[in-house]
Amino acid sequence: MIIGLTINGESRRLEAAPTDTLLTVLRDGLGLTGAKRGCNQGVCGACTVLVDGQPMRACLSLAVNCTGRSIVTVEGLAEDGEPNRIQQAFIDTGAVQCGFCTPGMVLSAYALLQENPHPSEADIRVGLSGNLCRCTGYRRIVEAVQAAAEGDRR
Amino acid sequence: MNRTVFHEPRSLDEAISLLGTAEARPLAGGASLVAMMNARLVEPAALVSLRNIAELDGIALLPGGGVRIGAMTRHRIIAAEPRLSGAYGVLRQAALSIATPPIRNMGTIGGAVAHADPAADYPPALCALGAEIELAGPAGRRRLAARDFFVDWYTTALEAGELIVAVNLPPWPDGSTGFYDKLAKVAGDMAIASVAVVLAMADGRCVRAGLALGGCGPRPVVVPQAEALLAGTTLDATVIAEAGRRMAAACDPVDDTRASAAYRLTVVPRMLARALMQAAGGRA
Amino acid sequence: MSRLSQVGVSIPKLDAREKVLGEARYIADMAIPGMLHAAMLQSPYPHARIKSYDTTKARALPGVRCVLTGDDVPDSRMGAFIKDENAIAKGKVLYVGEPVAAVAAIDEATARAAAQLIDVEYEELPAVLDPAEALAPGAPILHEDLDKYFKVFAAICGGNLMSETTIAEGDVDSAWDSCDLVVEDEYTTQPQYHLSMEPCGALADIDANGRITLWSANQSVFRVQANVCEALSLPMSRLRCLTPKVGAGFGNKMEPHIQPIVVALAMKARKPVKMVLSREEDFETVRARHPFRIRIKTGAKRDGTFVARAVELLLEGGAFADDSPGVLGYSLLMACGPYRFAHARCHGRVAYTNKMRFGAFRGFGNPQVTLAGETQIDEIASRLRLDRFEIRLKNAMRQGDRWFGGQKVESNGLIECIEAVRKQLAEVRPRAPEPGKRHGRGVALCAHISGLLATGAIVRLLEDGTVVLNTGAVDIGQGSDTVLAQICAESLKLPIEKVAVASPDTDGSPYNWGTTASRVTYTTGRAVVGACAEVERQIKEHAAAILNAGTADIELRDGGMVAVRGANVSLPLSAISARAHWAKGGPIVGAKTLVYEDPTIDPKRAAASGLPFGAIGVFSFCALATEIEVDETTGKIQPLAAWYAVDVGRAVNPRLVEVQMEGGFVQGMGFALSEELVWDGPRLANPSLMDYKAPTALEAPHAISTTIIEALEPDGPFGAKGAGELGIVAVPAAIANAVTDATGLRLHDLPLTPERVLEAKLAAGT
Repeated sequence: MIIGLTINGESRRLEAAPTDTLLTVLRDGLGLTGAKRGCNQGVCGACTVLVDGQPMRACLSLAVNCTGRSIVTVEGLAEDGEPNRIQQAFIDTGAVQCGFCTPGMVLSAYALLQENPHPSEADIRVGLSGNLCRCTGYRRIVEAVQAAAEGDRR
Repeated sequence: MNRTVFHEPRSLDEAISLLGTAEARPLAGGASLVAMMNARLVEPAALVSLRNIAELDGIALLPGGGVRIGAMTRHRIIAAEPRLSGAYGVLRQAALSIATPPIRNMGTIGGAVAHADPAADYPPALCALGAEIELAGPAGRRRLAARDFFVDWYTTALEAGELIVAVNLPPWPDGSTGFYDKLAKVAGDMAIASVAVVLAMADGRCVRAGLALGGCGPRPVVVPQAEALLAGTTLDATVIAEAGRRMAAACDPVDDTRASAAYRLTVVPRMLARALMQAAGGRA
Repeated sequence: MSRLSQVGVSIPKLDAREKVLGEARYIADMAIPGMLHAAMLQSPYPHARIKSYDTTKARALPGVRCVLTGDDVPDSRMGAFIKDENAIAKGKVLYVGEPVAAVAAIDEATARAAAQLIDVEYEELPAVLDPAEALAPGAPILHEDLDKYFKVFAAICGGNLMSETTIAEGDVDSAWDSCDLVVEDEYTTQPQYHLSMEPCGALADIDANGRITLWSANQSVFRVQANVCEALSLPMSRLRCLTPKVGAGFGNKMEPHIQPIVVALAMKARKPVKMVLSREEDFETVRARHPFRIRIKTGAKRDGTFVARAVELLLEGGAFADDSPGVLGYSLLMACGPYRFAHARCHGRVAYTNKMRFGAFRGFGNPQVTLAGETQIDEIASRLRLDRFEIRLKNAMRQGDRWFGGQKVESNGLIECIEAVRKQLAEVRPRAPEPGKRHGRGVALCAHISGLLATGAIVRLLEDGTVVLNTGAVDIGQGSDTVLAQICAESLKLPIEKVAVASPDTDGSPYNWGTTASRVTYTTGRAVVGACAEVERQIKEHAAAILNAGTADIELRDGGMVAVRGANVSLPLSAISARAHWAKGGPIVGAKTLVYEDPTIDPKRAAASGLPFGAIGVFSFCALATEIEVDETTGKIQPLAAWYAVDVGRAVNPRLVEVQMEGGFVQGMGFALSEELVWDGPRLANPSLMDYKAPTALEAPHAISTTIIEALEPDGPFGAKGAGELGIVAVPAAIANAVTDATGLRLHDLPLTPERVLEAKLAAGT
């Protein structure tokens, strides 16, 4: 069936079967490969996208059930092609190793700071608890979010 | 290749009639259903999305006390709802310990309760509160006590074509506290074992107790005699230990990849004692 | 050495920007027009002969283009140490889940459906699922032709014995009598899944001449090339291996996964073929950390001097040898830890069993033996009433000491590491536990080797004086591209923006054994330094001619300049390169290859048999302390903080060293506390992230600090050594020692689950 989705502020019309997940549609239908398929079970977090501003699992969302909602992927965060404040903080603090968790992690961090601009470390760790990282030990990622929050104060 | 049909009904009656066809599945948050579809454990002939049915939304305080939570209410909303205080704190804490933030943004109480994972968080909390599940189906509406709703492994009392409409939490005395403690390997995992405690205290004595265990068998473990044992006491160590023994005796856990049955039987009385101390101390 | 401006600086990784933007392309993100998608059929049996295949229904499914079985591949075998593995199961299946057939179709859903339509007739054979049983007389034999397989070393093997190795020094048997205290313990450790965030995948393209280009998630384009060509009997010149961005490896992508299958499909279909494993398939078919059974005996004098150590290891190897002989040999080599033992005998065996292969995983056996050694040292300290730091300081290897086996250790910062951690622990007061909790602190030391085998670097000065560096080293996220670029930039005094790092390509890159064994900084870094030295030599020759000076008077200056020393006359490198390109000498290229040569065993000092490597690498050192909390109600352990002091020689990029420690701690705590692959009979019971649990941001300790000690390695690039595995090796031991500190309990079996801790606590009556 043809469905209409709003992705990164743009209205897109595309073909999707009822059982196609949002992840499949983003990656294969729209070429937005930032969201990754790490487990297809909703556990690892690499597929995390924002739906109406809330982090959700694209691998557990059916595309047909996302019509009328605003979807943001990592490709939608850049400002004029440049990393946004959070993305730049990830670069600067060393929060990126293999990078496979990074898109989902950045989106979860972005949503966290939208809702809670001055989170405590505990808040940050809860906010990121749904994004597995196997490389960094999480410390740099937490620091990146703190730096981005701090940068917002000025 | 697949021929699954997608429906988006706008009313409960329409949804129920669509679910009357064979192999039609209701789609709530999708956290459980789509995971099963991805794993090729289910291949529904039809998906009936519940997202446009207004009657399934919202949290309302009931006249005469109590709270009604619509089936499509997200875990995140329940976890942050300030009106779920006192005794109902057990449900809030349970919601907050479900999986991870993105799953809490997607998953619904109706979906989770219908899925009835024996290690899930709502079922013991609902049983401890003495909640009622409101159902609607081809034969009309009915209500069932949560304690009777969870029947077996991943099995509820839902009849064919029936939907959960809402969860109703009964009133508890002012000043009651609720406490949910979950033991899991890591944050976001299913419970190895969990304890749900609701206490109404007066003058240092327990007036009423609601107790339930999760992860210790095919359904939440509820032992009315253990609850009755606590009533009227000051919750001293002896009576707490006895309540724990009785509840452990009613458990029927299995060995699985998370823990052994023996460990669950050992740890639940300890967790229950700790939970009762904390709930009694108002530190929930 | 003059002041360094690029080495020793924590610059951001060169690939961080594309990764945060979501633009990095991993194998799953790649597509070639006309490509087919592949899926596999897996064996339902742990051990069976394949009698026949019926692919009729599969081939008839619309959209199917090609079906592959063992009949389509030659009976040639690959393997890092013992060549025992076909491209796909051929003649036999050896574990539940083993790939037994594959399909290429127009889309993945069709391929998966078709794979399930392939009928395979099996004759079930008895299976063996335990290494001791596998080695017992009468056990079913997995590889009947083991004796005929090619082995790259003098393997002691036969039946289901994959490898047997011994390293011995002194006279252990007589030494026990001279000990005042002898402790003997047994330990077991469980299989751990790498859980690289990216599942394995490959994409093979084939041209009209039959030449294949293969992209895959990998840690070595050269190992992929060798393995695929060996398994498919292809000349290596027929296969070009490339790498997309790789989503981590930790050892699981160093040796082959589905590359041989994907190449075989592409050859048969004569079309590009792509296959990406589901997470479940990745769990079931790639590789995992070896489970260990350890018997360890340590003898000491009353004053704490170590005298003797004996270690017996039994490893389960799974269905194929893969890196097992290496893991066994390395574990034995590391089993005495960084200490002086006059007498030691370390012996072990690894057995074939009907499970997935166990292979390389960060630490390569060292975490397991370090658990045993470091907890025993704490036990000895406790019984002799000695401080845990004092006993370690007393016995720690000093500068000039040789390692067990006799290899010279050139740079040794171990003592400084111990003192640094000791000081930090003294300065930070232990947290007071909440009611119902106990806190404890544990300490552990380790060394780890970086290095081994061959590597190379080619540095080309482009016409405009910028540089391309080509080493063939795969950056799997740890930052090797960045570090090697820093080394190159420093060597040639160029700003790093002028150094481009070429992507590994077996056609154009010099041989690099792989991104493994913590080796790239040290080994490939040396080659980069050497290649740059050659470039410098040529630059100076040109400059001397242009500037009318002697080459000895020419120096490189910061910013890509070359000048006469002490004079104000200089030239940009572009001028040099222009002359080389257009007038004289030819374009400037520097190349350097090397293979690590220092022998592991000095026969005058130690005896070894069945050791699968002759030369390994250089030693990095680590002292680790951790503070943990134990929940007295449930037995659950939560690490609160960790303090590292690590000697990695020169830290080329200090922050990247720190991140290796931080990530290593969390991966190590997963191994120590919560991760375990569990079998239900022959079947892996938890091939899913729902049921296999690694630490999240909530489990990881908030505070992990790293002090870098730089004991410069004489032939390391700017003195650098490796760091990648150092962070994980001591973690299980430090946590176990902390548990003992908190509770008085000493546990010997990983993982230290709440169940095991509570059981021990109740048994001890505490």
